Amino acid sequence: MMQKMIGVICNECKKVYYPKRSCCPNCKDIQLKEVEIGNTCTLITYTELWAVPKGIDKLPLTLGIFEFENGARVLGQIISKKIEIGMKFQPLWSKIRKINGKEIYGFIFESIS
Amino acid sequence: MIREVNIIGCGMTKFGNRSNEGLIDLLKEASINAIKDAGINHQLIQAVYVSSMLSGELTNQTAIASALCDELCLVPAAADRIENGPASGGSAIKNAFLAIASGVYDAILVVGGEKMRNSPGDKITDLLATMTHPTAEYIHGVTMPSLAAMFTRLYMTKYGVERKHLAMVAVKNHENALKNPYAHLQRRVTLEGIFFSREAEVNNPLIAEPLRLYDMCPISDGAASILVCSNKIANKLLDSPVKIAGFGQATDIQAVSQRSDPTELKAVRLSADQAFKMAKMKREDIDVVELHDAFTILEIAESENAGFFKRGTGHIALEEGITALDGKLPINPSGGLKARGHPVGATGVAQVVELAWQLKEEAGERQVQGAQKAYCCNFGGFGNNVVSFVLRRDQ
Repeated sequence: MMQKMIGVICNECKKVYYPKRSCCPNCKDIQLKEVEIGNTCTLITYTELWAVPKGIDKLPLTLGIFEFENGARVLGQIISKKIEIGMKFQPLWSKIRKINGKEIYGFIFESIS
Repeated sequence: MIREVNIIGCGMTKFGNRSNEGLIDLLKEASINAIKDAGINHQLIQAVYVSSMLSGELTNQTAIASALCDELCLVPAAADRIENGPASGGSAIKNAFLAIASGVYDAILVVGGEKMRNSPGDKITDLLATMTHPTAEYIHGVTMPSLAAMFTRLYMTKYGVERKHLAMVAVKNHENALKNPYAHLQRRVTLEGIFFSREAEVNNPLIAEPLRLYDMCPISDGAASILVCSNKIANKLLDSPVKIAGFGQATDIQAVSQRSDPTELKAVRLSADQAFKMAKMKREDIDVVELHDAFTILEIAESENAGFFKRGTGHIALEEGITALDGKLPINPSGGLKARGHPVGATGVAQVVELAWQLKEEAGERQVQGAQKAYCCNFGGFGNNVVSFVLRRDQ
């Protein structure tokens, strides 16, 4: 099943946020509309984490922050091995971890080669 | 017109591994030290504020402020536990400040403590991570070190901070902690040992790349306490008590990725601006500073965002020795969170205790000569709730 990333756009300043929020931190407006976040983003920072929390079965766990063309910035796990700042990625719907034994799903990121 | 607020007593426990004592024992020890230091009849204490982030989760004791009141025979004083993540201590002192300044109370005991070392590391890491945004951060496996690591990489790219600078913060703060008998980590660390030798890779392993073991504060047990009061009590006891000249507190957007500039610590800046405005002081007036270096990068970034150095130049000030114990603006003479340790609920109180000792010239070998004005910032979450204080003592 293809899941689309849906965030919100502020009616006033047009800033885009993911995940959804109920007010715009930039202009405090509460008129936010749902919007598709997109399929391509750029890596702006990342880390390889060697001390992972319970419920994560990857070591190291690679986490990054990505910027989409509409300006939305999103944090998520990276599954690609070779990575550097500025590389292009795409979000994929996947199982991300367990919390209290329950499987949690969300978007992870894979580089676009 | 708000009333003046004085610190008339300070107490701490040694920070570190206190496996034989419970949280309540640590809170009692620090409180008794502060009450003795103040030299007042403890029946004058009208309220007790206890800061602890995780007492319920880690020690199976909730409503711990009421229990402490009974243990210390302070009943029927008012009692509250105050929880604001790692800024719990700052929040407790702020609330005591407001209660004295408003005229409601004349004497309040503030004590912060945490008991962390009896719990497994991954449990502590997870509980601390629950401060992060639940869907934008936590579910993805985010931990506080991982946020600090991503913040560090952005800082390195933008401002030219290098790994060497991070190691220099650790070396400096470990050196200061050698002079602090209350510090958790009392061992000398060298740049060679943790940065540029072949052994450094082994001594200082990666935790959250680019951050290594010596970029992180330890997990500690401990408690710290202050007794605050109005002029009515302070002026009978002391010629020149330490005064809380100003405080500030600000929040920020929780998810670091959603901040308009993720390298800016806006709540540090705003809380510092408020504290200096209330104190009617300038940054240049300050003689000694305690910052919340849970990660080495935070000492550098907070020194800029609190307004002591221009943004992007904190690492240069560090390199020039300005922030060393014998420098122009000593930062973290106590050893900071890095080496004094970080029992989460105690930290904000421990920062104020260190500064009060500095202003009273009771800081022993780590005394900053002639210190009369001081600043600290207690950093909650990843900077989404920050409490700042400016202290002064007129001589």
